[in-house]
Amino acid sequence: MRSFVGAGAVWLALASGPATHAQHTLAAKFDVTKPLTLTGTVTQIDWANPYVHVLMKVPGQPLPTLWAVELEGGTIHLTNNGWNESSLPPGEMIRVEGFAARDGSKQVSGKSLVVTRTGRSVYVGTNGTPRPRPAASGPTPRWPDGRPRLGPPPGQTGYWGYPSRTSLVEDGVSVPMDAYGLLNNVADARRVAPLQPWALALYQLRQRTFLQRDPMLLACKPPGGPRQFQQIHGFQFVEQPDFKRVFVLLGGGNRNRRIIYTDGRKHLGQLQGNDDNPLFYGLAVGRWDGDTFVVDLRQFNEEFWFDNGGLPHTEQLQMIERFTRVDMATMRYEVTINDPGAYTRPWRSSWTLNWVPGEETPYFLCQDNRP
Amino acid sequence: MIARGLALLLAIGLLTVSAQAQQAPGGAGRGAGPAAPAAATPRWPDGKPILGSVPGQPVGGWGAGVTSLPRGKLKEIPFQPWARAVYDMRQIDQFEPHTRCKASGGSRQFSTPYGTEFVEVPELQRMYIMDNGGPNSYRIIYLDGRSFPENLMPTNYGYSIGRWEGDTLVVETRGLNEKFWMDRDGTPHTAQLKVIERLTRTDFNTLRYQATIDDPGAYTRPWTTNDFLLRWRPGDELFEYICQQFNQGPELMLGSQEDVDNTRFFVP
Repeated sequence: MRSFVGAGAVWLALASGPATHAQHTLAAKFDVTKPLTLTGTVTQIDWANPYVHVLMKVPGQPLPTLWAVELEGGTIHLTNNGWNESSLPPGEMIRVEGFAARDGSKQVSGKSLVVTRTGRSVYVGTNGTPRPRPAASGPTPRWPDGRPRLGPPPGQTGYWGYPSRTSLVEDGVSVPMDAYGLLNNVADARRVAPLQPWALALYQLRQRTFLQRDPMLLACKPPGGPRQFQQIHGFQFVEQPDFKRVFVLLGGGNRNRRIIYTDGRKHLGQLQGNDDNPLFYGLAVGRWDGDTFVVDLRQFNEEFWFDNGGLPHTEQLQMIERFTRVDMATMRYEVTINDPGAYTRPWRSSWTLNWVPGEETPYFLCQDNRP
Repeated sequence: MIARGLALLLAIGLLTVSAQAQQAPGGAGRGAGPAAPAAATPRWPDGKPILGSVPGQPVGGWGAGVTSLPRGKLKEIPFQPWARAVYDMRQIDQFEPHTRCKASGGSRQFSTPYGTEFVEVPELQRMYIMDNGGPNSYRIIYLDGRSFPENLMPTNYGYSIGRWEGDTLVVETRGLNEKFWMDRDGTPHTAQLKVIERLTRTDFNTLRYQATIDDPGAYTRPWTTNDFLLRWRPGDELFEYICQQFNQGPELMLGSQEDVDNTRFFVP
């Protein structure tokens, strides 16, 4: 009853890819050169996003030690793997394998978690079998006037997710990096985009510190700019031709909503006299160019990272986004970045997004495990 | 209690003043238009009331109208003893999750000063209730006749299904967690909570709101609130409000302080 899967939908298993990147890259908090194995009893589960924590007591002399096991993926991923809050009752003996925290605190990343009584593995990190996801097929859905639909056809639901790229890099450049945008080799930084010297230095600093100071991670600031289209929890478009506007409803971050006006109006800023303040999501004006939805964005603030990998931007940032739904299942996204404050010339990045039919965006609140 | 009552009156007074200020001529932007003349409930071609903006007319939103669910009948609320104790404590300690940018479901959406916008999408058989302040997020109400899924993962907004009873939209919400307050007064609830909200646009400018709280975890029986009235704010458009940036109490949120970083326990 809950899910309506469009005609022609098939189930697609993802063999690889960034199945679970919820927030930080593992290296931001844990030292992957320091493996650690712990055996002890469960005392509590903190069932929250972005990370579920299992608290455990490890026997020792003169006193036992309390450890926190951080499980990657949050509640959504664990639920998809058949977990829930009561999967590990307090008192259960477990063995955990993972990596030690960089700061020496009693934390471990939970790469593997096994109930010693039964030998059952209850968590296997990112090596688990990803849940198959439905994929759509068929031609681009259209409005009666022939324009492509950015959202679902009438009576259906779905969202855009599974971006083919999860961090910004100039088109035509190939640089090895992980799903969080962490470069394998910081020396490649200068190749990622045409950075001005100061911006390159800042980008390198962010990379060298494993993207630890990301405002989205630390303070749940919004993933403004192109970053919102590279989030694991996807987004929905809700078109309202009657009101000349398109909503963008994000699944992750803090599940923000924003508006793209299609009649030349601009998205409003803060109430109470400072409408013109630079914004996290910028002022967006959309128009149709044939089958492509073109969005002109400007007036961004500098309070957020506009890229998962930590590429910098300034208040001078302007962007042109082009959304082209080439068929039911595929949205081609292309962004031209023009920021004379941080880059030596305008540059372009593009990727595709995949339609997930019959499902809402996963429910994820960044603020969830804060007090 | 007297001081609190005064504070509440003051707050209401301020809200009224602010609503008038927004309608003053000459103020540019949202909420600046003249008050719409009293008019009949707008309707879709099929005769059902339009709860949000009317196609072809400027958008608008609903002002805040529900601050305290027990308002006017506190003595009749069938609190369980622990719930009454929590309620009393929260009258002193207003450390509300909403002030820390948590999305807050149920009636709490209707007490944010900036109001809400109802976005109806008939062809998708759903309605969104968009928050303006607070978490800058949204709740979905399904209107396609579906039933509740099994094993709902508890969330801050829960899972809402609406159906029409005459001119009243009856919205039932289940699958709520305990991580938010369902009104500004901190009227307690547990994860067993079911909320039934009744929304009636009695005329163009008025939305009547009533909620039934069915929570055997906190109350001895279901109870229903008095009616609350929400006022239409013509020209009131949604804007970008990022709680994490503009919150007046950022120090309340772990993660916003300089000395907190992601090597800290429970913070990513």
